[in-house]
Amino acid sequence: MSLLEDIHEVQRQLQHDLSQIDINAQSVENLRIKYLGKKGLIAGLFKDFGALSSSEKPEFGKALNTLKKTAEEQIKSLQNRVAEQDNKGTSFDYTLPGYPFRQGRLHPITQTMNRICDIFGEMGFGIEFGPEVETDFNNFQALNFPPNHPARDMQDTFFVDKDILLRTHTSPIQIRTMLKTKPPVRILAPGRVYRNEAINPRSYCVFHQIEGLYVDENVTFAELKLTIEVFAKRFFSKDVQLRFRPSFFPFTEPSAEVDISCIICGGSGCRLCKHTGWLEIMGCGMVDPNVFTACQIDPEKYTGYAFGMGAERIALLKYGIDDIRLFYEGDIRFLRQF
Amino acid sequence: MIVNTKWLEKYTDIPYSPEELEEKLTYLGLESKIIENAADRIEGVIIAEIQEVLPHPNADRLKICRVATGSETLSVICGAPNVMPGQRVPLARIGAVLPNGMQLKPVKIRGIQSEGMICAEDELGLSDDHSGIMVLPDNAPLGGDLRNYLTGNGISIDIDLTPNRPDCTSHIGVARDITLLTDGELRIPAINFQESDALTSDFIEVEIENPIGCPRYAARIVQGVKIGPSPQWLVDSLLSVGQRSINNVVDAANFVLLETGHPLHTFDYRMIVGKKIVVRSAVDGEEVVTLDGVRRELNADVLLICDAEKAVAVAGIMGLENSEITEDTTDILIESAYFDPATIRQGSRYLGLQTDASYRFERGADPDGAIYAMNRLTDLIAELAGGTVTRGIVDNYIRKIEPARIKVRFQRVNALLGLEIEPQWMVTKFRKLGCEILTQDADCVVLKAPGWRPDLEREVDLIEEVVRIYGMHRVPNAREMHIQPNYEEPLNYKLVEQLRQSLANFGLYEVYNNSLVSQKHTGFGPQKLTPVPIRNPLGKEMSLMRSTLVPGLLQNARYNINRQNNDLQLFEIGFVQQFDRKYETHAREFQRYAVLLTGYLEEKYWGFERRAVDIFVLKGLLIAIFEKFGITAVEFQPSVHDHFEILIDINYRGNMLGYFGMINKTYLTLEWDIEIPVFVFEGDLTTLLENANLGKSFTPLPVFPKIERDISILVKENLKIAEIEAIICKNAGEYLKELKFYDLYQGKNIDKGLKSITFNLVFQANDRTLLDIEIDDKMAALHKILKEEVGAQLR
Repeated sequence: MSLLEDIHEVQRQLQHDLSQIDINAQSVENLRIKYLGKKGLIAGLFKDFGALSSSEKPEFGKALNTLKKTAEEQIKSLQNRVAEQDNKGTSFDYTLPGYPFRQGRLHPITQTMNRICDIFGEMGFGIEFGPEVETDFNNFQALNFPPNHPARDMQDTFFVDKDILLRTHTSPIQIRTMLKTKPPVRILAPGRVYRNEAINPRSYCVFHQIEGLYVDENVTFAELKLTIEVFAKRFFSKDVQLRFRPSFFPFTEPSAEVDISCIICGGSGCRLCKHTGWLEIMGCGMVDPNVFTACQIDPEKYTGYAFGMGAERIALLKYGIDDIRLFYEGDIRFLRQF
Repeated sequence: MIVNTKWLEKYTDIPYSPEELEEKLTYLGLESKIIENAADRIEGVIIAEIQEVLPHPNADRLKICRVATGSETLSVICGAPNVMPGQRVPLARIGAVLPNGMQLKPVKIRGIQSEGMICAEDELGLSDDHSGIMVLPDNAPLGGDLRNYLTGNGISIDIDLTPNRPDCTSHIGVARDITLLTDGELRIPAINFQESDALTSDFIEVEIENPIGCPRYAARIVQGVKIGPSPQWLVDSLLSVGQRSINNVVDAANFVLLETGHPLHTFDYRMIVGKKIVVRSAVDGEEVVTLDGVRRELNADVLLICDAEKAVAVAGIMGLENSEITEDTTDILIESAYFDPATIRQGSRYLGLQTDASYRFERGADPDGAIYAMNRLTDLIAELAGGTVTRGIVDNYIRKIEPARIKVRFQRVNALLGLEIEPQWMVTKFRKLGCEILTQDADCVVLKAPGWRPDLEREVDLIEEVVRIYGMHRVPNAREMHIQPNYEEPLNYKLVEQLRQSLANFGLYEVYNNSLVSQKHTGFGPQKLTPVPIRNPLGKEMSLMRSTLVPGLLQNARYNINRQNNDLQLFEIGFVQQFDRKYETHAREFQRYAVLLTGYLEEKYWGFERRAVDIFVLKGLLIAIFEKFGITAVEFQPSVHDHFEILIDINYRGNMLGYFGMINKTYLTLEWDIEIPVFVFEGDLTTLLENANLGKSFTPLPVFPKIERDISILVKENLKIAEIEAIICKNAGEYLKELKFYDLYQGKNIDKGLKSITFNLVFQANDRTLLDIEIDDKMAALHKILKEEVGAQLR
């Protein structure tokens, strides 16, 4: 076997060892001793080289030097990787916290209202607004609350003047919209409303409502039920059960309250649902013909439905908040949670 | 309204458990809740009779009681002061479990064995009373189970009535609704009394001066009654709905009220002067003393019942002391009237007095039912208190209240509900409701509503009845939804939401504040608006509508700082109002947005120095907001106000976008009790949106390289950066693409009165590669000009 073949053999062996090596300090050192050690394979080849004639030397010398250089480089590179690993293992601390990115939050009521508006928005409801200071006509009379009717007791009112008041619901937006737009009308009316009620954990004199109104030919109670069910399942959970039960609002007839099966106990009874298994989420009904008449819309030709819910109540349920006043204190520890 | 199942069963059969009834009534629109009975939790307590009370040999205060249960006689130690032989008492035997969880064990008390315990009410969980043992009526069944005895009076259900259902303020009304489900019969109690020969009209005359307030007034006399205690059934009935027994006559009137829903009043006939009842409006300032002993001043909204000389009752609300039934009353005048709902409501509100009677009248009593209720009460009084009934009723019905005649189209019912209900089913249910069917054909029915349902006036009211009885929960959802195409993007709404989201993304927390505020709030700041006053506020602190958002944020800041949170970046978007009679609502409304910054932007952290907020943090935030809305190159104008240390107005094309600044330290300390610097901004959202430039268009990207140069100069410290920027822009030539101020230094190595400032300039041409040499020339020229114009020294 010529020396050249021996060089090639060592070369092949080196490449094989490099491809198999499990890199750590010991294995790399073993490799170095095997090839570059004083008694290593390459030293052995140089010994053989020394025995060659001077005419043979140049040819084999070049090949041998290339092999030695390659081996040195490759082993050096392995040594570097070992050093790097050691280094990381000692001083790099991946558990150091990342630098904080500043982040703010939308108020939970905003988040709740946005979600509600989004769901109804996808069902084709536009958004309408109205003023917080309203006329008695828009807030009560046009909505079929006669003067001196006990139904007005359901909504204790702040007055600015005899016939001017802080709206007690966002329903006057229905009136404003129907007075300026002929059917079909399909709108959502979010906004701030006022009730003259003492402030306590369950009630606040200011809160937010979202009302919906759909007026067209052939609108049915069955379609109202469908719409509300789609909303409730999407907002709370597709597993919630709905319960419609008759109620009374002057501006709708028939009127209904909507309950969902308790989102905590699923209906078996707990503190949140006061052991009834149900949570009241909104009121709704078919638009009362008197409301249409007040808006110069023919109640024989058109029918419609309306629904309304309190954003605070929905948020209380959704997030399990037990005191409505938290929404209005601006406590940063509260706001950070949403 | 509280109803009791045993009471309801007088009028109809109830084939439901209490829980089923609770649910079925709720589905009928009578939101029901079973009232839990404390007695439900008592186990193993029986009714026993005390036969003998002997002294305890070892204790003065204790007694040994020999107690009979009917089957055995036990020896029980008792320390109660009221224990006496012959009493029927609750006896907890060994093994009984009391509501507090205690189980009775055999025990020796002062050396004597006690075989049970005679209980006080508190030990049974029935009340807090521990003054003595509970003494039961003599007819309580000996040996009977106490729980069965106490709950034998039925289950009570609390109904949260909607204002449209006056008929269900009564047991008969609720029973009638139950028959809608069961199709059972409604049993109205029969009237049995005999009239004497004495004519009622010889004893009383009724004159109605105010027919609007009082369309009907009926009266009758019962003579020679004996006031006394009520029989047990009556006491129990009233107790089951939470009312105390007073005497047989008053109890009978209360019973009939709760049975029929019609309020009645009884007068002591002796006190009625001149054999006359006059119904009239009160005179402003007139004073009366009502049954509850309160002297009340009236006004013309209040309707009065008077005799020939004086007022004897506030109509439909409460009687007066001067004519009330007393122990020695013998002749009774019974009033059964129909008062106008709005009149009673006005009077009740004026007096701030709501009673069982006013509650019913203001919702609408039954004008026809007045006579039945009168007869029913007469019957009960004659039965319970004896006496003779005068012949006939003096019935002054001067303004006839006619129930509505209503046409109901079957097709319309189904069209509105999205159902297909058989017409005959509807008609059957209308009859059950008490409607009189006048005519009927294939398409429709014409009916007359019953007097007890003033809410049934129109076709749609009957449609509601149909779905209520059919069950809303049984109406299947429609299969399709009708969505209207909307060609218009709801732009402003979306933009406001974008602003909100941007502010949150910039690291701010959104707050909501009460819009009812005090003068301290409305008096804040440079943009004072006349606030909208509230006539009936919750208190002085909430008597005005807010006219600026900033004070709300200051309040939030104080709240948080008091809780050791000083690093606050808050914002609010909301409406403020300005009082202005020119507007229909006397209010002009503005949508505002406001920001408040205090403390540090970041929490303490490793690896970087956190930034304290200052006026330029706020300014940078505002510029970023404006840029989002395509508003660049706004003008900042310094301004002055007592509440501000620094105040800057923000203008854009002649419109005021808002103001920002640093709150004055003294004001902050005195008014808000805040000791750290606070920076605020408030802007008008409508103005922002009106000035927004939202159209975006593409500029081709540059293809030739840019050349960057810095310029560092020393200038006088009072020279404004904007002035130098203006000089540079004017003189740097057409290739200057960007100019950025990025360093300001004063202090070491810089002479007093001077500042070192550095700008970065970017040059670029659209059509060729610029040469370094031409930019070098430009920079040299700039240096020269800056030196000449503002005395800048090159660094």
